[in-house]
Amino acid sequence: MATLEETEAAGANKKMSARARGSALDPWWYPYALMTPALITFVIIALVPFIFTVFVSFYEMKFGRLGDFAGFANYAELLTDSRFWNSMAVAGIFVGIAVPLEFMLGLAGALLLNRPMWGRSLLVPLLFIPTMMAPIVVGLLWKIMLAGSWGLLSTNIIEPLGLIGDSSIFASPQLALYALIFVDVWQWTPFMMLAFFAGLQALPVNPYRAAAVDGANPIQCFFRLTLPMMAPLLVVIGLLRLIDAFKVFDSIFVLTGGGPGTSTEMPSMLAYKMTFEFWNIGEASALAVVVWLLFFAFCNIFYQVAKKKLNAF
Amino acid sequence: MNSRGFNMRNAVLAGAIALVTTGTIAGSASAQWSYAEAAKPYEGVTIRVLDEITPLQETLAGIVPQFTEETGIKVEYELLNHFEVINKGQSDMLSGRGYYDAVMLHGFQLGPMLEAGVLMPIDDFLASELKNPAFDEADIIEPSYSTTSFHGGKQYGLMNWNYNQIYWARGDLMNHPDEKAAFEAKYGYALAPAETFSQLRDIAEFFTRPAGATLAGETLDSPFYGIVMEGVKGGSTFPSLWGNFLNAYGGGLIDEAGRPNFDTPENIEALTMWADLWGFAPPGVAEYSLIDVPTVMGNGIAAQAIAWSDFVLGVDQPGASPHAGNFVYRAMPYKQGMADSRSVESEPSVTTISVHSENPEPTFLFLQWLAERRQQEKLIEAGQGGVPMRESSWAMPVMQDGRLAGLFAAMKGSLEVAVGKPKMPEFYEVYDVLSGIAQEIGLGQMTPAEGAAAAQAAMLEICEECLLN
Repeated sequence: MATLEETEAAGANKKMSARARGSALDPWWYPYALMTPALITFVIIALVPFIFTVFVSFYEMKFGRLGDFAGFANYAELLTDSRFWNSMAVAGIFVGIAVPLEFMLGLAGALLLNRPMWGRSLLVPLLFIPTMMAPIVVGLLWKIMLAGSWGLLSTNIIEPLGLIGDSSIFASPQLALYALIFVDVWQWTPFMMLAFFAGLQALPVNPYRAAAVDGANPIQCFFRLTLPMMAPLLVVIGLLRLIDAFKVFDSIFVLTGGGPGTSTEMPSMLAYKMTFEFWNIGEASALAVVVWLLFFAFCNIFYQVAKKKLNAF
Repeated sequence: MNSRGFNMRNAVLAGAIALVTTGTIAGSASAQWSYAEAAKPYEGVTIRVLDEITPLQETLAGIVPQFTEETGIKVEYELLNHFEVINKGQSDMLSGRGYYDAVMLHGFQLGPMLEAGVLMPIDDFLASELKNPAFDEADIIEPSYSTTSFHGGKQYGLMNWNYNQIYWARGDLMNHPDEKAAFEAKYGYALAPAETFSQLRDIAEFFTRPAGATLAGETLDSPFYGIVMEGVKGGSTFPSLWGNFLNAYGGGLIDEAGRPNFDTPENIEALTMWADLWGFAPPGVAEYSLIDVPTVMGNGIAAQAIAWSDFVLGVDQPGASPHAGNFVYRAMPYKQGMADSRSVESEPSVTTISVHSENPEPTFLFLQWLAERRQQEKLIEAGQGGVPMRESSWAMPVMQDGRLAGLFAAMKGSLEVAVGKPKMPEFYEVYDVLSGIAQEIGLGQMTPAEGAAAAQAAMLEICEECLLN
């Protein structure tokens, strides 16, 4: 039997040979050339605007005119603005409720779909319809359903039964945010469900067979096998959904405009107002940078925790 | 005859000759001036104008090609909804892109756009050969014209649109004998379209009824409401509160020096009345925009409304509303005992030339042409009425004798007191904050007194002197 050193040497030789072989058919720069269009696109549509945003955040910029260098004044103005912290709190509540709900309902749905059932190939596309709809269309649809005094559900169920007193859902500071959460869960749970279902379908069967031999019950299989094996997928999908939920704009714009008052005003809505209504682009840029920094820090922490505690990466 | 008499006679004769000559020259200049001649250097040029889509502009779009026939200047006349014309038009001007040669601006936009320096004054054009000597400027409706189109000694446009709000009610309900008898028994005066805010409130209270109650002799399948008005955060909710209520009660946003002056007893009284009315509005009032109000009123679930008159034009038409023909109109109510302080929310609007326009001269010719009396008369005739920007339009038969004569009379009443918004560079920030506070007051989340204090504090954070210098 070969020693460890002999095996490693053989592997290294194999790599060198592969590289040597590759250079004849695929030059060393070939992978970079393939990535270049994507990289150029990324630089133009993401990196350059981001760098410009960071630049503008240090200047006074009102009504589209770049003014004097402001240093950290825009950041100070933003971080001492109660409206900014209110928007962060609203986002925290929104994400803190919507994403776990979508996660749990999506996983539960995926587990159900993963069982043998008749008509699954028809059911999956139907379930995915909400996710396929453009967010602005979803907003309009739920406005038609829930608008006070003329919405389909409002006039036929909610108001006749007096379920929410004499207000309407989107006009109630107490209910409007939860209505938006409901709309988000309605739209994105199918996405989670489909992603998790794909993950379940790709799991190896052998560990389950071995577990069955050992007498494990379904719950033990779920917690000891399914979840650990699915961990990388669950973590990535959960993180992506969390980032997306934080950025939600379309449904808020259509359904509440950030109101009543500021009860549904998220950072995305506040940034929109600052940029396109107040034309205070310097401060809006500072908001964008602050939110990016918060997410950068969060994602790093999340990655480390997921790697060490969940073996997700 | 002595020499003195001779000199006097000569002086008088010379003066008379000068007068006749000047008049003749002016007359012949006027007679000679034409759009075709003035536009000769610009023939073949294309200009782009952005305006708002309402029934008025849709009618105007049919007239615009006549300018091209007359002058050879092509006009791309683009219409967008209220929110888009604001966002897109401002973005184009502020970005320096200059795709549009002219953009329609509502009065409240003028402060920020003037501050940004993106509007071209038209004084030079008015002093040039592009000005039609026969242009009847005195006929443009005041005080909206002078309070909107001018600032800092310069003029930035001619009046284009005179949006205004009116009071709107169900005439069939007001005239129903059972309702009239019941109202008079309860309130002690005859039921009629409201003239004062107190009457507005009484009528709103009277007609707010649950499902199963009787209305005009019929049993209601669903609740009926006394009033519908805007309540959405944004839109024209706060301007409506400001123009129709705060000003009418002797309050307002700023003092004469432009300093925030919101926390006043007058404003609190106005806010109290306004918040009271929310109690008689449909549950969705906090979601209603300037578009929802006429829609809801047209669908017949409320007895009264405060609405933009140009939107009403589109609703009180056969086929548009099941209650078309049953509506009555009045100018905005006033506070009892303060008829002289009558105020109305209005939005005199001006199509302004962008400083980035490469074709300001032909653009000015087009805007002047639009504001000419003959075009305005065509517009009113074609639209079977409209929202005039000229005094002479009120006398047109279609405005006097048509089916909507009552609506036009109400508009006239509103426009008599309509003024442009003060030019405030931070208007949008002020408006956004106050819009939220106004909504919270309407929803009962804040008392009027708390709201007034909060609004004053919020305004002071935004601007200590809020008027454009």
